[in-house]
Amino acid sequence: MGFLLDLRIAFRSLFQHSRRTFFLATAIASVTALLILLNALSTGVSETMIRAATTLSTGHVNVGGFFKVTSSAGGPIVTEYEKVIEAVKKSVPEMESMVHRGRGWAKIISDLGSTQAGITGIDIKNEPAFRKVIELVSGRLEDLAEPNTMMVFESQVERLKVKVGDAVTLSAQTTRGAANTIDCRIVAIAKDMGLMSKFGVFVPVETTRALYQLRPDTTGAIHIYLKPQFVPEVTAIAARLRGQLEKLGWTVMDADPNPFWMKFQTVAREDWTGQKLDVTTWEDEVSFITWTLTVLKGLTAVLLTILIAIVVTGIMNTMWIAIRERTREIGTLRAIGMQRGGVLRMFLYESLLLGLMGTGAGALAGAGLGAAINAARIHVPLSVQLFLMSDRVQLALHASGLVRAALFITLVTTLAALYPAYRAARLKPVSAMSHFG
Amino acid sequence: MNHIVSVSNVSKNYNLGQVVVPALRGVSLDVAEGEFLAIAGPSGSGKTTLLNLVGCVDTPSAGTVTVDGKQTGLLGERDLTRLRLHTIGFIFQSFNLVSVLSVLQNVELPLLLQRALSARERRERVLALLDRVGIREYSKHRPNELSGGQRQRVAIARALVTRPKLVLADEPTANLDWVTGTNILNLMKELNQSEKTTFIFSTHDARVWAYASAVVRLADGQIQDRVSAEEAVRAGGLPTGRLV
Repeated sequence: MGFLLDLRIAFRSLFQHSRRTFFLATAIASVTALLILLNALSTGVSETMIRAATTLSTGHVNVGGFFKVTSSAGGPIVTEYEKVIEAVKKSVPEMESMVHRGRGWAKIISDLGSTQAGITGIDIKNEPAFRKVIELVSGRLEDLAEPNTMMVFESQVERLKVKVGDAVTLSAQTTRGAANTIDCRIVAIAKDMGLMSKFGVFVPVETTRALYQLRPDTTGAIHIYLKPQFVPEVTAIAARLRGQLEKLGWTVMDADPNPFWMKFQTVAREDWTGQKLDVTTWEDEVSFITWTLTVLKGLTAVLLTILIAIVVTGIMNTMWIAIRERTREIGTLRAIGMQRGGVLRMFLYESLLLGLMGTGAGALAGAGLGAAINAARIHVPLSVQLFLMSDRVQLALHASGLVRAALFITLVTTLAALYPAYRAARLKPVSAMSHFG
Repeated sequence: MNHIVSVSNVSKNYNLGQVVVPALRGVSLDVAEGEFLAIAGPSGSGKTTLLNLVGCVDTPSAGTVTVDGKQTGLLGERDLTRLRLHTIGFIFQSFNLVSVLSVLQNVELPLLLQRALSARERRERVLALLDRVGIREYSKHRPNELSGGQRQRVAIARALVTRPKLVLADEPTANLDWVTGTNILNLMKELNQSEKTTFIFSTHDARVWAYASAVVRLADGQIQDRVSAEEAVRAGGLPTGRLV
């Protein structure tokens, strides 16, 4: 009963000062909408990054490793990979699917240009997710099943000046340190997928074995894809797998949150030979580009702090004005028997209502604007593509994100009123009633 | 005779910077249940201060105030608020209605704070009281849609809705024209007689004394005398009899 009365007074007080309420609610709505859009951008980049990364270069969890013939010569190889696959199947019940891929680093030479690139060997018949995500500009992905073929991205086409059907030469060092080359035919050209696609090409897994002169029971890495609900637990799952592989007799490298190609020098300096496995997560493998996400989140945090400071100042000022205007009313309510807590609640509800109205409108506006931006499929320049991991602005609008943003700003607005409301509740009835102003 | 209010040797000082201003000096007063007592005196004599102390919205600098058997100086803030809610009704010179609430909601407010009645009981009691003070047809109006006299009737209804033992009215007719003021006084007097509610009201208007069962005259923060209404009117040389 008291709650409804407090709410009623709060609601009507807001509407009595409709102009002030409108401006403040608009400010709160703007901040909420901006927070939603920034979060949607950040989440969009993150989701695009995960999608691109888990398509192009990594599973959610990977078992890779290095095989060293001598203490200074070796390569990113997993030998007897089928045994490792069996061990993974037993150790990771959260797994949805698994593929193995060859990997290495080579120079690609065409008639008119050359470039360095990461070489990923895939078995296209066993990569349904890859086929879903890659958007082709020309050629056919199915042709990648034939030996000595290659899929490149648009940006590499510019450097190599090639088209579908052209031949290129791959030049690399084998694990024993010998130089080797292989000729490949371009069979597919795919649309760029942000930074991830700038430095990688795809060939059949047999081609990587041929290039690096590897046995058929070797591969570059086993990529494990988890069921969606387990993706957030990726670090714990990787740690558990690492322990299981050690128990089963493999030598496993210590956890190192870096992509495999950053570990070449460290491994080369170490004095050991033979096979060492390396268990990594998708975040480890793309850690060199997650700075974009960090920057975006940092930027969001800074902007948000400034905006929230403005809202808090606005709310506090409004509350001070409201308390000043209603000092006599506070005195009267206290005189007729309202406890201090009642006065406190009355002003907190006023701020809460203002927050709910503002954030509700802001959430709707943010969602509408975000949906419009997505629908407009706004293309961005190449430099921004690297940052956004996509060729267009992609906002991830989730209902949970909208609700979280609205609740967070509402909480801030309510808390901003806490001190003025406390001061109002502490007013002595006699001095409040004799207030003029 | 039971005393609803006992004020014993009370002083109240206000600090204005370095200067201490005495508002009440050694005031003692007993008010019996059912009285219709006027506190009379010129502006600055200490009438409002005395009502504030009796109404538990202020505390004395010295002396004791006892309301309904409770010594107010010994009560904490919560208990004082509770005492005001359950025992005292207030009528203010400027009506002091909550502008954003309707007439009905303003009158219902103390009942909501008491949390003792159901919604239906509250509504019945409020409407009956609005009927009694003659403004039932304005129950859905906001205070700013009413005249001064109507507003004061709302304030009276609000003061009486909890059926308090004591109603304090600070210059209840000061902001009203004479005819409206006398109507309000008649209404207060009628309620005093029918409900046996004790009324203490302050006034500086000698014409109002005629309504009181007794008049306490204050000057310079001290009680000059306590006399019957007839004596007060005679001493003041003011007209006697009903003014309406």
